[in-house]
Amino acid sequence: MSAPTATASLRLEHDDIQGGVLHQRPSPYVGTYLLLRIDDRRAGRELIRRLLPAVGSASASSDPAQDAWVTVAFTHQGLKALGVPKGSLDSFAPEFRQGMAARAAELGEAIWRQDCYQLPTGRTSFGFKDGIGQPAVEGSGIPASNPLERPIKAGEFILGYPDETGDLPPMPTPTVIGRNGTYIVFRKLHTRVAAYRRYLRDRAADRKEEALLGAKMVGRWHSGAPLVLAPDHDDPELGGDDTRNNAFLYGHDRRGLKCPAGAHARRANPRDALDEEGSVDVRLHRMIRRGTSYGPILPDGVLEDDGADRGIIFVFAGSHLKRQFEFVKTQWLNDGIFIGAPREQDPLVGRPAGNGAFTIPKQPIRRRLREMPPFVVTRGGEYCFAPGLGGLRWLAELTI
Amino acid sequence: MATSETEKSGPGVSVASTSEFSLFFRIKPGHASALREALRALQNTPGYQPGDYNLAIATIHEARFVPFDDDTRLLFATSFDGPWDAYMEDFLTSGSTLALFDAVFQHVEGYEGLPDLAALKAFILGAQRTAGGYARNYPGTVKEIRKALRVNNAFQRVLDDPAAADALQHPALKPLLDEAAD
Ligand code: HEM
Repeated sequence: MSAPTATASLRLEHDDIQGGVLHQRPSPYVGTYLLLRIDDRRAGRELIRRLLPAVGSASASSDPAQDAWVTVAFTHQGLKALGVPKGSLDSFAPEFRQGMAARAAELGEAIWRQDCYQLPTGRTSFGFKDGIGQPAVEGSGIPASNPLERPIKAGEFILGYPDETGDLPPMPTPTVIGRNGTYIVFRKLHTRVAAYRRYLRDRAADRKEEALLGAKMVGRWHSGAPLVLAPDHDDPELGGDDTRNNAFLYGHDRRGLKCPAGAHARRANPRDALDEEGSVDVRLHRMIRRGTSYGPILPDGVLEDDGADRGIIFVFAGSHLKRQFEFVKTQWLNDGIFIGAPREQDPLVGRPAGNGAFTIPKQPIRRRLREMPPFVVTRGGEYCFAPGLGGLRWLAELTI
Repeated sequence: MATSETEKSGPGVSVASTSEFSLFFRIKPGHASALREALRALQNTPGYQPGDYNLAIATIHEARFVPFDDDTRLLFATSFDGPWDAYMEDFLTSGSTLALFDAVFQHVEGYEGLPDLAALKAFILGAQRTAGGYARNYPGTVKEIRKALRVNNAFQRVLDDPAAADALQHPALKPLLDEAAD
C-alpha cells in the first residue's frame, strides 16, 4: 500500500462515498431494509447497474432530508455470488469473511424485508431519542457535535485514508472495491419494552423516579439531554438542541455521580473517562451509527407485553469490525472489568450471563439495581461491506 | 459474539477475570549489560518505583523481568485482567508506555521494532508459554482491589475515632462491627 499524499489524506472523495455512510438519516424517516440473495451473477450485476442511479454520493445533497436514497452493502457470500475473484474475496477483513454467524453464538432467523419508521414520538421503543452521539469525521465537512473532542481521522470510518494509528486501515483489493468503502454491521434487536417498564415501575416510587432510573441506565434522558449536563431532571430544550446535546465529557464526573460509569452511552463511548488509564485510546473504538426503529410503539403506560415485534435495527459503519464494533460489544458492553465491576453488564443490551446488577453512584449511598432481566434480544444480523460508487460500478461490470 | 464469549481470554491460564502471562526471550549476544541498564531505567521510571503502584497499563497486577541462564535469556511474567490482546492497538498508539517496553525488547532476539501490530503479536505469542500451574490467593481485578484498599483505609480511620464503638452498634452496621474487633 502506498502512502497517501497529504491532500488525499485531508480531502475525502465525497463523490465516491455512499451518502448514507457520512450523512445522518433525516427525522422523521421511513425506510426499508431489503436482503436479497444473488442466485445468478449476471442478474446480480444487472441489479447493481440499475440501482446505481439511486445510490447517492456523500456530495449529492448536503441535506439528505430532501430526498430518498439507497445504501448498498454486500455480505461476503454476496460478493462471491457476484463473481468477485478469489484474490479479492480473500483480501477482506477476516471477521467479514467469517460472517456474523460464525462469530456469534446466536444468530436468529434471516431477515428478508424489514420496514422501519420513526415512531410518532421521534424516539426509540424504550422512549429515548437515539443517534445523537456520533463521531466527528475529519475532512467530512460535517460539523462536530462535540466541540470538546478532536475530530476522528477519516480512515477510522472510510477505507483509503489514514486512521488514528497513522496507517491506512487494511483495505481489500483491487483498490477500486476498497477505497471509499466501509464495513457495515446490521443487527435486528428486539426490545422487551413491557418488561423494561415493569422492571422500572417495580423499583421506583413514582413516575419521576422511574424516569430517573431509566436515564441512569442510558446516560441520557428521554429527550436526549445528557446526564452530565442535566443531572437531576430532563431538559427537553437541551435534548433537542443539536449544538449542545453532545457537547460534554465525563472527566469531571469520574465517580459517576451524574452519569453512572455503567450507563449504556458511557460504556459505549467513555469519552475522556479512561484517559487516566494510560493504555486505553478511546479514539480507536468509535463508530458511526445509523440505527432506525421498527415495529409499533407500545402505548404509554402499557405494562403488559402485547406480543408485537419492536425494536431497533442497529447499524454500524466503520473501518475496523474487530477493534470498533466487536471490541465495544465484548469489552465495554458485555463486560465490566474496565469500570471495576467485572460482573456487571450493559443495563440495556447486556446478556443474561451478567449478574443483572447495575450500580448507580449517588450521595450519600449508591443504589444497586439487581436481577435485571435482558431487555434486548438479538434476532439476527450480518457483517457487510458498502463499497464506494466506483466499487459498485466495478461489481456491475465484472465479466468472469 | 466474538472474543470474550467464544474464545478464552488469553493464551495463559485464567482464574476468573485474571490471567497469567509468561514470555521467554533470548537476549541478543553482547546485549546483556545494555538490557540490565534498560531494566534499571524502567525501574526508575515514575510509576514503577517501589511504592508508586502506578504501572502504565492499569489492568496489570504485577510484572517482573528476570534475566537468567547467565544473562542469555529473559523472562517477562505478569498477571493481568481481561483478554490479553483486546487493547493491543491502544498499546501501540500509547507512545510513552510503548517506549518503555521498546527499550527492553530491543535487546532480545526476534524483535523487529515497532509499530507493526501483526509482527508484534507474532513476536509476543512466539515467546509465550502457558503455565503448568497457576493459582491466586485473592479474587478481584486491579480496580476492585484498589477500591477494597480504599474502603479498608477508610474503615480503619473510622475505628481510630473514639466514637466508633458506639456508632457501629447500629444494626445496619453489623457486618462492619463483625470486622472491627481485630
Ligand atoms: C436495542 C439496543 C440498543 C438501544 C435501545 C440503544 C439505545 C441507545 C441510546 C438511547 C443511546 C443514547 C443516545 C445517543 O447518544 O445517541 C445510545 C448511544 C450509543 N449506543 Fe446504543 N443502543 C442499543 C444497542 C447498541 C449496541 C449493540 C451498540 C454497540 C455495539 C451501541 C452503541 C452505542 C454508541 C456508540 C452510542 C453513543 C455513545 C456516545 O457517543 O455518547 N448501542 N444507544
